Amino acid sequence: MRYQKPITNISIIFSMILFLLALFPGESATQLTAKANHDHIKIDFFYHGSTVGVSGISDPGVDLVIKLTSAEGHQSLQKKGKVAGLLWMNVSELELEHVPSVYFLHSTKNIEDILSRDEMDKYVIGYQALERHVEITPVANEEEKTKWFSEFIKFKESSNLYSVSTGKISVREKDGGQDYFILTNWPHQAPPGKYLVTVIAIKDKKVVETATADVLVEQAGVVKSLADMAKNRGALYGIISIAAALGAGFSVGMIFRKSGGAH
Amino acid sequence: MYLYLPVALTSIAIFLPIGLGLIVGLLSGLFGVGGGFLLTPLLIMFGIPPTVAAATDSNQIVAASTSGTYAHWKVGNVDFKMGLYLLLGGFLGGLIGVQAIKILKAMGNADFVIKVTYVLMLGIVGIYMFIESLSNMRKKKVGEVEIEKESRIGAFLKSLPFQTRFEKSGVTHSILVPIFLGCLVGILAAIMGVGGGFLMVPIMFYVLRMPMHVIVGTSLFQILFTCIEVTFLQSYTNHTVDFTLAVLLLIGSTIGAQVGTVFGRKLKGEQLKILLAVIVLAVTVKIVFELTLEPSLLLSLKGGH
Repeated sequence: MRYQKPITNISIIFSMILFLLALFPGESATQLTAKANHDHIKIDFFYHGSTVGVSGISDPGVDLVIKLTSAEGHQSLQKKGKVAGLLWMNVSELELEHVPSVYFLHSTKNIEDILSRDEMDKYVIGYQALERHVEITPVANEEEKTKWFSEFIKFKESSNLYSVSTGKISVREKDGGQDYFILTNWPHQAPPGKYLVTVIAIKDKKVVETATADVLVEQAGVVKSLADMAKNRGALYGIISIAAALGAGFSVGMIFRKSGGAH
Repeated sequence: MYLYLPVALTSIAIFLPIGLGLIVGLLSGLFGVGGGFLLTPLLIMFGIPPTVAAATDSNQIVAASTSGTYAHWKVGNVDFKMGLYLLLGGFLGGLIGVQAIKILKAMGNADFVIKVTYVLMLGIVGIYMFIESLSNMRKKKVGEVEIEKESRIGAFLKSLPFQTRFEKSGVTHSILVPIFLGCLVGILAAIMGVGGGFLMVPIMFYVLRMPMHVIVGTSLFQILFTCIEVTFLQSYTNHTVDFTLAVLLLIGSTIGAQVGTVFGRKLKGEQLKILLAVIVLAVTVKIVFELTLEPSLLLSLKGGH
């Protein structure tokens, strides 16, 4: 009888731990995972964009944000403005620092409803947070910064390189966790490079967990050879381009002459 | 069906550049212009970065102007002697023009000066050509015989040294005249970022007094060499020529240039001039709209015309 007591104590402690875990699910019960199902996109001659699916498991009941971005860098664009109060033309340049060339954001709910401003800023989630994160010059004040940042977003969205969506992530509870999945279109305008997929789990307006995956987009075959040649052997590339154009011009001329077109 | 463009870093529906090339080639064969004024903005509109659009355009003009020059040469419409002097002037003008851009940019408001000059020049040339061709056509209809009066400019040109006969064009000029005019167009072309065919063709007609059909062939011959130089320099220094895009464009433009030449030979000089005037005026109106209407996007990539 004596030696049975410790076992009873252990089971009581174990039961209490389970009870406490049930009461306070804590930071995470299921580890957040992220997988890009098309993580190596090869650009060949007939490439016209692709799709990227992101899937994984999260805790049940959390909200999710999925961010696909390129590395941050510098961008320089031409600004159009009115000259002499009448004519629209390029007036100066706009410089942007710490800005990704590609930024896609998907969330289960409206970002403003599920995240605090501090958390949005910390993880650069949403256009407003991105605006606060990016440096824009030359701008005289915050109002002007907002104006040009919104023009920048318009420009990027028109090139299919920036987008924000809500409610496109499908979520399904399974085995005490939560499966999520989203299939996104990968635009052909997105340049080759390494892209980062960040999945962010949110509870009580705070980020509770993040997981990442990479997507590599690279040129392949003849496309890669031509791009490399244009970049590294410009003189030879130029001579070949000219020779091909001259050859094509003469060939078509000869064909038309034979068929009587020019006479 | 789409093809990916390795330098432009985007893909494009194949029929688009082939169709655009066909239209531009047709204009080349008909009027002896390169067509950059039309093609570069259209390529930008279809998502090609401005620097790549401008450089690749030069590459395809090499093909279209080779095709057009060949077709015109076969029917005896290329004045090589005149073309070489104009070309010499054009090279000099290009060098001066590049320096002029630097000075204009340093002075500020360069874009404003360039755009306004461009619009005014195209507008004046277009209206003058249109009115003059229309009145000539009317005169010929009623059987009036046109008596050419020698203008003061004509008398001045004849007084210059190094007079030489240009057999193919049937005119006599000092070699300084085509060199100077080529230089002038070269300067303006470099400043405005266009090939200059639109300015060269009227100058050849009104100042050099060349026959319209010889003008078209000779202008294409000159454009061919200018674009060879530009294509090489763009490939070598800026790496912005997209060979794949150029091939798609030239498939259309080489055929278009041949068709344009055939059509051109069926038209009279005055008809060609009036058609060119209409296109010049249409381009002018398009630029005026672009300048006065608020663009949908206030930001753009750098480069282009």
